[in-house]
Amino acid sequence: MHPIIRLVNRNLTISINPGFLIWQVIFPLIYIFVAGFAYTSLIQQVPFGSKSLDYPSFLASGMIGFNIMNSTLVSGIIIWNDRRHGMFEQIMSGPFTRAHYILSNIATIGIVGLVSASLIALVGYPVFFESVEFSFITVPVIVFAAITGSVLFGSIASIISTRLRSSEGFNVIINTVFLFFAFVSTAFYPAEGAPEPLRTLFYLNPLTYLVDIIRAGIFGNITEFVIVEMMVLASLASVLFVVATKLLTRLDF
Amino acid sequence: MSCIEGKNLSKSYGSTKAVDNIALSVKSGQVFGFLGPNGAGKSTTIKLLTTLISPSEGSLTILGIDAVKHPLAVRHKIGVVLQQPSYEPTLTVEKSLEKYGMMWNVPKNECKKRMEILLQDFDLADIRKKRNEDLSIGQRRRVQVAREFMHDMELLFLDEPTVGLDPSARRKLLDFLKNKVKTGLTIFYTTHNLSEAEYLCDEIAIIDKGRILTVDSPDALKKRFGKEKTIKIHLLEKQPIVVSLLSRIPECVVDLDNGTTITIHSEQSELVLLQVLKILSENKIELEDLSAVPTNLEEIFLKVVRDNASHN
Repeated sequence: MHPIIRLVNRNLTISINPGFLIWQVIFPLIYIFVAGFAYTSLIQQVPFGSKSLDYPSFLASGMIGFNIMNSTLVSGIIIWNDRRHGMFEQIMSGPFTRAHYILSNIATIGIVGLVSASLIALVGYPVFFESVEFSFITVPVIVFAAITGSVLFGSIASIISTRLRSSEGFNVIINTVFLFFAFVSTAFYPAEGAPEPLRTLFYLNPLTYLVDIIRAGIFGNITEFVIVEMMVLASLASVLFVVATKLLTRLDF
Repeated sequence: MSCIEGKNLSKSYGSTKAVDNIALSVKSGQVFGFLGPNGAGKSTTIKLLTTLISPSEGSLTILGIDAVKHPLAVRHKIGVVLQQPSYEPTLTVEKSLEKYGMMWNVPKNECKKRMEILLQDFDLADIRKKRNEDLSIGQRRRVQVAREFMHDMELLFLDEPTVGLDPSARRKLLDFLKNKVKTGLTIFYTTHNLSEAEYLCDEIAIIDKGRILTVDSPDALKKRFGKEKTIKIHLLEKQPIVVSLLSRIPECVVDLDNGTTITIHSEQSELVLLQVLKILSENKIELEDLSAVPTNLEEIFLKVVRDNASHN
């Protein structure tokens, strides 16, 4: 078995536990079915391109991107946990190179992101199935967004993992990042109609791009703006991936 | 055949030399002890030898492989138990062993077989279903050491493996290691515990301030550095005058602790002892107890490090 596959196997075993899975499913379900339907009395329709979506459909599609971010932030902290519990040095003194370690983490994050996206898509499908418009173009767009978004948020978690040593500092940073990404984005509400400067802030947040692309894929509304968003997401993910890799390569023992 | 050959090995961090031009030659099939006080450069040397860091200068051959050019090839053949704990908190003991075997590409059936043996050998069977985060420090350490035997290796680096172990677990581990050496394994063993080194090691190196001060077998070290004997005399009551009385004896060093315990270091211990007894008798100073302390590795270690410090 290739060293990267062995490390991915190990990473998945340590990061996917019953608590993680319950969190991954229950948390978005509460949003979709409780918040989604509860807010319907306030927000009946959300304009989306040429369509008009009901709020639960809008929210359920947003939850896919939200869940990718959530799960990859969690799996991205494998590096932090490995450093904290001495496993980074232990692995590096075994039959692995740094490249094996970095690539295995990226692969783990990608797998977790894709599985999370599929899980929420499956759970949310009854909510948004009436408006779905899948095609040969939209499905690859969704997969592209899921993988690129996973790499992006996984890289952010990796960068934070390499820079911080104390668990208090790490938790504060991760929670702050999580709160900003989650609520200053288009996952819960549309950018149209939001007051400035909130609207501008939405577009300083990579989750907005991820959510917009996934929504466009699900509801078949791939516009020029979405293509620009795809390019921004890919560029940002590449830059952050390079930074994370460089920091990991320089990580001292 | 040499298992480790290091020549002019140095490791610098800025202007600080953590390891300073050391030479190491470790023969196959032996336990090589590596002793030194805190901050002496032991852990940096281990990191160099396990290819975790590369040397600033010098050459290093491990198991016939150039460790500077081919670190991964070296890592395929060695096992490493580092000083700091390393564990996956959410995994159970048996899952830890199993996954570690998988990481080393050990076939699944073989993994299961080895796991069962190690659970018994390291007294882990009762806690096999416990998660690592719920274990005591000693139990976690046992898992960490046991885990390393899930894979085959020719050379094992152990950096203070008995820290946190109770005396019986410690002795059990040392005997386990002795048996492994009989099967051809070479062990590079770092410890602070000198009785452990004496019990286990075939050869011992003492390092201080990044330099190797001496390398020899425990017996040869005793012969070389153990000429000086220690005599301990306990007086019945405090006698401050005793030091000035005994300081007249040539070729010995006299210390008086808490007023009743006299420690005498001398290479002419028999002659010195006779003179001490004569002086005490003449001055009617009564003894409670008298003992000659045999030379042990601890005395030698302290002497070598002390001599190095005063030399510097």
